[in-house]
Amino acid sequence: MGRKAKAKGTIAAAALAGMLLAGCSSSGGDASSGAASQAAGSPAKGEQVTLKVGVFDRGNSPAGYTATDNYWTQYVQEHFGDPNNIKVEFVPIPRTDATDKVNVMMSSGDAPDIVFANTNPLTSYGYAKDGGLMQLGQLIDQYGPNLKTYLGPALERGKFDGVQYAIPGRRVNTGKYENLIRKDWLDKLNLPMPQTTEEVYETLKAFKEKDPGQTGGKAIPLGFSLTAASIEPIVWSFIQDGLTDEQRYTLSENLGYPVLLPGHKEAVQFLNKLYNEGLMSPDFSLDKDEKQLFQDVMTGKVGMYSDNLGNAYNDTPGIAKVLTQNVAGAQLVPVDPYTNNAGKHLKPEYDPTGFYLMIPASSKRGAEAIKYLDWMAQPDVLNTILNGIEGEDYKLVDGLPQRIASEETTKRMYNAGDIAMITQGQDFGSDEKNWEAAAASVPEPFRKDVVDAYKMSMTDTINYANFTTPIEAENKYIPALQDKYNELIVKSIMAKPQDFDKTYDGLMKDYMASGGDAIEKERKEAYKAMAQ
Amino acid sequence: MSKLAYYRRNWQLYALLVLPLAYFAIFKYGPMYGIVIAFQDFNLFKGVAGSDWVGLDVFREVFGMSSFYKALRNTFLLNLLDLAVSFPAPIVLALLLNELRGKRFKKFAQTTLYLPHFLSWVIIGGIMYQVFATNTGIVNLLLGRLGMAPIPFLTDKYDWLLTYLAVGVWQSAGWGTIIYLAAIAGINKELHEAAAVDGAGRLRRMRSVTLPGIRSTIVVLLVLKIGEIVQIGFDRPYVLGNVSVNDFSEVISTFVYKTGIQTADFSTATAVGLFQAVVGIALLLASNYAAKKIDGHGVV
Repeated sequence: MGRKAKAKGTIAAAALAGMLLAGCSSSGGDASSGAASQAAGSPAKGEQVTLKVGVFDRGNSPAGYTATDNYWTQYVQEHFGDPNNIKVEFVPIPRTDATDKVNVMMSSGDAPDIVFANTNPLTSYGYAKDGGLMQLGQLIDQYGPNLKTYLGPALERGKFDGVQYAIPGRRVNTGKYENLIRKDWLDKLNLPMPQTTEEVYETLKAFKEKDPGQTGGKAIPLGFSLTAASIEPIVWSFIQDGLTDEQRYTLSENLGYPVLLPGHKEAVQFLNKLYNEGLMSPDFSLDKDEKQLFQDVMTGKVGMYSDNLGNAYNDTPGIAKVLTQNVAGAQLVPVDPYTNNAGKHLKPEYDPTGFYLMIPASSKRGAEAIKYLDWMAQPDVLNTILNGIEGEDYKLVDGLPQRIASEETTKRMYNAGDIAMITQGQDFGSDEKNWEAAAASVPEPFRKDVVDAYKMSMTDTINYANFTTPIEAENKYIPALQDKYNELIVKSIMAKPQDFDKTYDGLMKDYMASGGDAIEKERKEAYKAMAQ
Repeated sequence: MSKLAYYRRNWQLYALLVLPLAYFAIFKYGPMYGIVIAFQDFNLFKGVAGSDWVGLDVFREVFGMSSFYKALRNTFLLNLLDLAVSFPAPIVLALLLNELRGKRFKKFAQTTLYLPHFLSWVIIGGIMYQVFATNTGIVNLLLGRLGMAPIPFLTDKYDWLLTYLAVGVWQSAGWGTIIYLAAIAGINKELHEAAAVDGAGRLRRMRSVTLPGIRSTIVVLLVLKIGEIVQIGFDRPYVLGNVSVNDFSEVISTFVYKTGIQTADFSTATAVGLFQAVVGIALLLASNYAAKKIDGHGVV
């Protein structure tokens, strides 16, 4: 009986959760009207106020620290909070499923004064449309001179219908992904670095048949997970050359995957072949956070894989580092092998914006929030947060900060990037310098690989074409389409080769019927309007 | 005795009821006003009071979604299969346990069988991923030793269905025996003895004495089960399921979670939840009616 009661309770909870959330939010009130006046009303002198700031919790805090209490949160309190009589309280936002969690926070009225979920403008647009976000134009004019200078034109992207609703962080390096290969396996088999997709296939086959890593048949020639970092590098590389502007605008979607562009089906078919020949991770459909993939790489089973740019060599999770400790002589190096019909190494590139920072309309700390971001945008403050203390955490070499290898520094810097949410990376003036700077923050033996990876990530890149105003249908359908796309990918890849066409076309039809059609139609109209 | 005197004498007893009643009023009935958002174009920030009314539009949209029918079908499918497999399992197990002679071994066996019930589905899911993984799971490693090809327990939808059911039996069968064992203990011993004297063997006694003795218990539990057939717990399908098997693993509760929490489409999620509750009540009443016909008494 106990089991039943529990099950019932769970259902009730699931069913009622939505209703409860809905109920609480009414306190948010009609936002846009009172927002500016509320925010401008600074507290009287002597009265300490609390500013709540969101911070990503990646579950990777070193001993003694938490995402909300660590070196940098203390630094913020000491250098920004105390002088301004503000108590800065950090509110954890789980990095995985951040968007879901922020949805819940927003609907229950629990969102911190500075909140963010992802790098997609649609999320902010959805909230702004429903009246959930504070208008920021006036506040930034009043309290954010440094912020304005620092963000420059990026700030424009946070405007919807001409009103500033979000503050997009900057993104310095727009490279998105890296492909990695075990060079020691290639050397052992006397194989060259693969230069084309066809050669990748041959290489993977050799990895499987000859098992250069002596894994006892457990080799995974191509490590794969159900994440954009695994899917995008390969599917984009198949997109055909010479797209017209019209194709780019009307057939790409905010989803991020080139699902409608010519070449996508061939890409999935390629993966289907790899899967059926046992050349890629068999349980990739269960791996939604790359954890299994990383584990397989670090234990020396994987021959090749793709990941977010820079991740393989970073201190945390330290994939290359742990691999070389586990497997003597292992060499994980970047490679740029996938080619499309014209022999180009097509790959996606980020917009020059990072996370979209928002202030809920119900917040009473709009002014303090902007002051905080403005404080952070000062060059010396930002430099400190991103690099640590000179002499303790880094030393300057040729004008670039070089990370000092020490346990304390690793511990201290583990979430510095998550504190400096107004930017992803630090700008040193040129791509080359920025790459070198990125390299300087990783352990010495990997620095050359990092520069190579960054360079490769910018070869033959393609941007999604986005309109200046959001597409309404995308706001409505994209979250559900994300699931549909995963389904399309997983089931098409796992289908028997002879069933591939049927499976892919069927799922594609489903995808289009679940919102894909509506988005395409609206994009076509928007393109027509733009072309005139 | 006048009414007043009755209340004067017993008011303490009524006072004791206040807290439980308040609990139900506040936590069970209170939130139900939220049901109205199923009939609204719900705006997160305007709340229930400020959102526009749209009548039955949300339901029209829901009934036009193919994924809704898939979720509904799977809810019935998983529950029916569970009914066929997980429902008889504790009965059989209880019958077997009842026949055990050694007292200590019986106690030990019972306790061991209960244990999985106390694990949360998240933990069971974690164990399941380890045990049944295609490449590295222990089951497939053993199959490999026997020269068999690995079975994709977690990623092929039919294999997954078996895994789902088997894990369900493993988790709940032992715990389910408690009620049956209690019912069996209530059977008059003389019946057993008389049957034995008449020459009935063990199997015959199980069939002709023990089973009829717990028949009403079985019926009551069956009625409850059938009433719940449109309801499905969230954790089990969500934790055990994955995108490669969502032809079977996407059920109403996960569908509500996805549309409600992940897509922030609260109106649709509430409409689906309400639909589920209404069908659930209808089924419960129907199965109760059937039970009354069969057994003479029902539950509700």
